[in-house]
Amino acid sequence: MRQSRWEALTARQPALFALVLLVLSLIVNLILQPNMFAKDTLNSNMRVFLPIILMAVGQAIVILAGGIDISVGGIVSIVNTVLATRVGLEGSSGEMWQVVFISLLIGVLAGAINGFFIAYLRLQPIITTYATSFLYAGLALLILPNPGGGIPGSIAALYRNSTPFSLPLAFYVIAILLFIWLYVSSTRYGKFLLAVGGKAEAAYETAVPVTAVQFSTYVISGFTAALAGIAITMLSGSGNADIGNSMTLNSITAVVIGGNALSGGVGGVVGPVMGAITLGIIQNIISFASIDTWWETLFKATIIVMALAAPGIVNLFRRRRV
Amino acid sequence: MAESLSARNIVKRYGGVVALSDGDLEVQAGEVVALIGANGSGKSTLSKVINGVVVLDGGQLLLDGNPIHFSSPQAAKNAGIATVFQELSLIPQMTVAENIWLTREPLNALGQVDRRAVRARTEELLALFEGTFKTGLQPDSPVDSLPPDEKQIIEILKAVSFDPWLVILDEATASLDSRQVQRLFELVKTWKQQGKAIIFVSHRMEEIFRIADKYSVLRNGRTVGAGNIKDIDEKQLIKLMIEKESVLGFLRGEGRSDGRVETETSLEVANLTADYVRGVSFKVRKGELLGIGGLRGQGQRHLLHSLFGDIPHSGAVKLFGNELHFRHPRDAMRKGFALVPGDRTKEGLLYIRSILDNLLLPSWRRYGLPLKVSHAKKEAARTGSSLNLKMAGLEEPVSSLSGGNAQKVVIGKWLMREPQVLLLDDPTKGVDVGTKAEFYALLTRLSNDGKTILFYSSDDEELIGLCDRVLVMYDGRIRSELAGETLTRENLIAASLGVSNGGAQ
Repeated sequence: MRQSRWEALTARQPALFALVLLVLSLIVNLILQPNMFAKDTLNSNMRVFLPIILMAVGQAIVILAGGIDISVGGIVSIVNTVLATRVGLEGSSGEMWQVVFISLLIGVLAGAINGFFIAYLRLQPIITTYATSFLYAGLALLILPNPGGGIPGSIAALYRNSTPFSLPLAFYVIAILLFIWLYVSSTRYGKFLLAVGGKAEAAYETAVPVTAVQFSTYVISGFTAALAGIAITMLSGSGNADIGNSMTLNSITAVVIGGNALSGGVGGVVGPVMGAITLGIIQNIISFASIDTWWETLFKATIIVMALAAPGIVNLFRRRRV
Repeated sequence: MAESLSARNIVKRYGGVVALSDGDLEVQAGEVVALIGANGSGKSTLSKVINGVVVLDGGQLLLDGNPIHFSSPQAAKNAGIATVFQELSLIPQMTVAENIWLTREPLNALGQVDRRAVRARTEELLALFEGTFKTGLQPDSPVDSLPPDEKQIIEILKAVSFDPWLVILDEATASLDSRQVQRLFELVKTWKQQGKAIIFVSHRMEEIFRIADKYSVLRNGRTVGAGNIKDIDEKQLIKLMIEKESVLGFLRGEGRSDGRVETETSLEVANLTADYVRGVSFKVRKGELLGIGGLRGQGQRHLLHSLFGDIPHSGAVKLFGNELHFRHPRDAMRKGFALVPGDRTKEGLLYIRSILDNLLLPSWRRYGLPLKVSHAKKEAARTGSSLNLKMAGLEEPVSSLSGGNAQKVVIGKWLMREPQVLLLDDPTKGVDVGTKAEFYALLTRLSNDGKTILFYSSDDEELIGLCDRVLVMYDGRIRSELAGETLTRENLIAASLGVSNGGAQ
């Protein structure tokens, strides 16, 4: 099959499309909001984007290995409600960090449940995580039926207002994430992710530990979802069992914009991080241009539908030509 | 390094189908053993037992005389066994170098893949086949972008890259050109001198005699002969591969009226081309049962699906002189075509739906609006009983039927439309002997009724027993046409294997 030059280029650099989209959206945003690179504006934007960025990293790894995780929103909600009820507005910072640690364990456990069903019992990823998403969202509602609770203002401020060396806290988190990914992607595990997502059967015949790799991706996704839950709790300062609901679609959209194939085996984490930032900026643009917010969901859904349909449409045209 | 491996009395079942009932194989360091057998004789299964891809159900493996059990490909690999898979075990999205070294990447002190070392070692391996590549093959080329022969070479290099003592070459030469085969055989000779053992699975007789020291013949999942290659010739090998007992004996002469009156040509195909089909032309007479033979995967499936309008194709197809070009199976159905596909559970049936739903699926239009359900049911029941369908009731799901009865439903749903042209893709695969006999009677009756039937079968016996004329396909083309005197088992097998004296060309 002959590839066009653009196809060949994006096959080698899947994040390229994400970069182009990021730059374009930045330009539009800058026109609407000229002070967006001022320290405070930048920080207030980045702290809002960070939860989705964290989620997109885990989602990217799951999708890379050929799966998908729809339960991440539910995990965010559990973590949020646990923090808001166990720490409380009057809690000490010691309690806070204790519960943060527990939250991370919850994320890992939730991911392990997904991974067990999918990797060891060989169930469909999309159906399994759709089912567990209700399980997790239901647990969150059980923990906190009505919005309320919260974390101490001083700790929330730590997240909201920290700008070491005049740079938003989020930049440091992103730098650490990308550093870890660059390391991981150069190890054997990084190759295994691509192999399992590319063609699991061939990977098995080559003695790649397919089941263990699939399992691990859901654990990682659970962990990053828990991180996202911690971040969004510190951002909002309060508890709400519905908070994770809308975030699942965002994490998947970020990965798709980031150039990862939904069928697996192609892409990385850098693209999805850029994709998550782009999504945040688009949200900004929509609010600045005073467009109704429902456009946002429509836009994101359109991106996913197009990404899903593209290979099919190409085949359809190929069929017609004969 | 190990010295010998033997497989004794290996049994392997897939569900109810016995792929191997008594497989034996002995291989010593420094020799090439050719594993030979017709379609479905269990060659691939036996090699998959040896390399740990499937777990055996009976018998044992001995490594240097000690019993050994491979629970995964990893275990076999650790014992120094490498496989060149017929279906290729490459990840299309990854590069040549990444594929070759997957799971064995050289690492640096930080646990990262040492890309320079990977590249250098890949180049060393590629040098083994230097000069036989058509494209600018680089260690960083994505495997996706390579032609089939180069993919095959990467698969070979991947297998030998960890210096195994036993290499299984499963149809490794099928997509290589003569220069590449020559290079591979030179390498095989070097490996022999290094004390490696090679299991060579192939259909090409000429290659077997060129490279093998020993042979082992499988027939119907059973090892029926083994020995030194210099003690046997091509004819004797082919005889070993052929079944002696036959369920078809009673049919010969019965439905086949040999001096059949020449009827008019019904289907005429000229230069049909599609994926895996490279310019096929033939004519079928009205009321003829035309056989299509050859090894599996030589384009038979694609030929039948093209005729049914299922896959894009070019070339001229005429039915009673009228030009046809089907773009969709619906077009073909309107002209009275019917296709019994090769994989009945996936393509032929709605497996969890009822027998009734399946039988009526192509014919609902006939029963009008509002639906005349009871009328439809009556006709379905009549078709069922005329096919002698053994079932608990029409409302039972197809999944409750045995393989043979399920296949009757596939045929039955088309018979309800009274087709003119029947395209059959290996319809007796996984069907019990009794039902097979019923099929043969049915096919003979249909052809006597004036239907045109194209019948591909992987069972050579069937073709000889049922058909007046058999087209043997090889590599997407019709290799030879056998009829009357030339339609013998020997000629059919020889033509399938691409041996030159395969009957009338």
